[in-house]
Amino acid sequence: MTTSPVHTPDLPRPAPALAPGDFRARTIPAIQDAAYLASLKKVTQYYVVTAFLALFIGVLIGPLQAFNYAGINVYDNPILKALLKSYYQGLSLHGVLNALVFTQFFISGWLLYLPTRDMGAKINMKFAWGTYIMMTAGLLMAAVPLLLNKATLLYTFYPPMEGHWLFYVGATIMVAASLLVALQVIVTWIGWKKANPGKVTPLVTFMTVCTWMMWLVAALGLVGEALFVLIPWVFGLRPGVDPLIAKTLFWWTGHAIVYFWLLPAYISWYAFLPKQAGGRIVSEPLARLTFVMFLLNSTPVGIHHQYADPNISNVWKLIHMFLTFLVAIPSLLTAFSIAGALEDAARARGGRGAVGWIFKLPWGDPSVTGQILAMISFIGGGAGGIITASYAFSPVIHNTAWIPGHFHITVGTAVTLSFMAISFWLVPHLTGKRLAAPKLALSSVWLWFAGMMFFAVGMHWEGLLGIPRRALISATALPIYKEGSMHSQIPMALTGISGVILLVGGLMYFYVLFATLLSPRVDDGEVTTPLPYSDVISPAGSDLTRASTLVRTTEPLLALWVVALALVLLMYGPVVLRLIANASLVPGCDFFSVGAGGCR
Amino acid sequence: MAPRIQRLDHHTMEKYENIWFGIAVVMSVLLAVAVFASFLSGTIPRIEDEGGGGHHLEGVKNGRINSRNFAGTPFATPGLVDNKDGTYSAFVVARAFAFDPPVLKVPAGKPVTFYLTSADVLHGYYVEKTNVNATVVPGQVASFTTTFRSPGPLNIVCDEYCGVGHHNMLNKIIVEAPQP
Repeated sequence: MTTSPVHTPDLPRPAPALAPGDFRARTIPAIQDAAYLASLKKVTQYYVVTAFLALFIGVLIGPLQAFNYAGINVYDNPILKALLKSYYQGLSLHGVLNALVFTQFFISGWLLYLPTRDMGAKINMKFAWGTYIMMTAGLLMAAVPLLLNKATLLYTFYPPMEGHWLFYVGATIMVAASLLVALQVIVTWIGWKKANPGKVTPLVTFMTVCTWMMWLVAALGLVGEALFVLIPWVFGLRPGVDPLIAKTLFWWTGHAIVYFWLLPAYISWYAFLPKQAGGRIVSEPLARLTFVMFLLNSTPVGIHHQYADPNISNVWKLIHMFLTFLVAIPSLLTAFSIAGALEDAARARGGRGAVGWIFKLPWGDPSVTGQILAMISFIGGGAGGIITASYAFSPVIHNTAWIPGHFHITVGTAVTLSFMAISFWLVPHLTGKRLAAPKLALSSVWLWFAGMMFFAVGMHWEGLLGIPRRALISATALPIYKEGSMHSQIPMALTGISGVILLVGGLMYFYVLFATLLSPRVDDGEVTTPLPYSDVISPAGSDLTRASTLVRTTEPLLALWVVALALVLLMYGPVVLRLIANASLVPGCDFFSVGAGGCR
Repeated sequence: MAPRIQRLDHHTMEKYENIWFGIAVVMSVLLAVAVFASFLSGTIPRIEDEGGGGHHLEGVKNGRINSRNFAGTPFATPGLVDNKDGTYSAFVVARAFAFDPPVLKVPAGKPVTFYLTSADVLHGYYVEKTNVNATVVPGQVASFTTTFRSPGPLNIVCDEYCGVGHHNMLNKIIVEAPQP
């Protein structure tokens, strides 16, 4: 055995050395080039405003869906009929605009801007603008058939229901553009690493790069579905389509995409909310661990959406279920960290007692309040998600109203309400305009939260009674949902009320947003509304060699990315290869166009 | 004298973090174990994979079937088949916007193996008040075994979007009391 003093793994490492500055909020490198900074802010603003325009239209359609689940069919109204051919077209628009367009545009702006500022990087603005234009072009292409009732496929667009080719091509271009944003951020980070050898990646950049890397692994399923299954099929290059291969590839991306929506909200909760509330980040190393767990574990879980599907091995279904349960861990860690940061904030403001401190949080601040309410909704959403992911319980609620009940308090509140709350400071920061009507902003987040709680209770309840999701249940030929033995009156009433509350809350929010955007520029957002970086209780430090084991282990993100890719190939490869070997092609069908009804 | 503000410190947080982390891991594993136990005990009508998905049926290979032509397969004449050994097979074809047969009569207390396929798009086969819930996929046969305990009518609801008439895709199972 060698006793070389160079290798002394048995000796304890010296305690991580942290400088006093590590505990204080990060000071981001200044950007001197004013024209560049203005352009960076402009492109971010374009992404964010496009996102909220999509949400605006989506939110206006929302109550129509809620009323349906209250047993009231409004789709026969002649004025509405001129705009929307069916409930299903309304639902397709609502789902695509809110869940796919709003999220992706907001995240592409938010997670392009944050790391660029965090690193003080100079990114290629032509590329950034080109990506925005490409994403918007894709959106507009997909929007045409959607608005013309030629792609009434809901946001899952399961074949062999076949829409107009423009929808598939447009959606593919839109998603591909988000991958270019991902690449631009990752390449910028690699440049930063080269320029700063031996340094720990700053937290915001770390979390952002992790999220984009996760999205690149997750998106492979959808990219594969679009390029190798759907597009060749709609252009007639294949005799048909295997619906099960398409569905499996869809859920490869389709579940991980919820983490792609959620993590950008987590970034705000971890990095900025403590400062906004007057507290400190609990632990930077723990935040890094959380994000790495999401990078590794977000994607190989999608088969839990397919328990009801035939010809997929039950062993793989159970493996994916177990991995889904494991993804709860980083979310539980987040709950701990954020609650800790908020408690720290409240105690600094004079809060006392085991729960009494909660009242000392800055409840008058719409941005803080919105994000806290978003988190509260996610407690129910996360717990419901674990139930939903269980193979034992899934058959009872699969494709019932329970599911939209679930995802309206996850993506519909935890994510959407967070993004709305972030916009209360982000828009003033980007534009130099002041938030219009802060009191109205505060009311709007409370109403959104209250509406979603009503909706969630109503829809979970209806689902347990056996009412299916995505169905015009208010106008069935047989009145099995409204009458008979179901006793659905109370949950239906709750759902109907939720539609009204959400419409009012939504309109108030959009009044605040548009009034802010249309107001004159009054000051420099850099000065009056700087990025709310927070102080830290347990920092990661900046010197890699002296950082803790956790920080050093999580730092090589490129290697962890390769592990994530290997893991997803391992967990999906055997399933997909077997499906391909047994491919069973069927023709496309259209049962949604007016007067249509048939297969090719 | 102003009260001294007690702020959270690194060491306390780290201790609680570790406890919380431990609880989270144990909880996740326990959940998986519980579901696995209910899977093994057969409380869930499990959807078969290609090994069990009607591979012994005429015209069905690895759980796959030609969705354009059911001639020669049991799906040409959907309905209940008495296997004469105390078990039953039910063959169901889903089409926009009805299940065939529209009324399926099954005996109470006897295991019934279902074979489902679609002639056009995806459908869902959800039997109200039970945990029977299967995706009906064109080109594939979905198969599971279940026993209906109490006699009476049950609604079958299509729970996968299949077009403008999706919400009217409602049919019935009638569970019949055993003949005295």
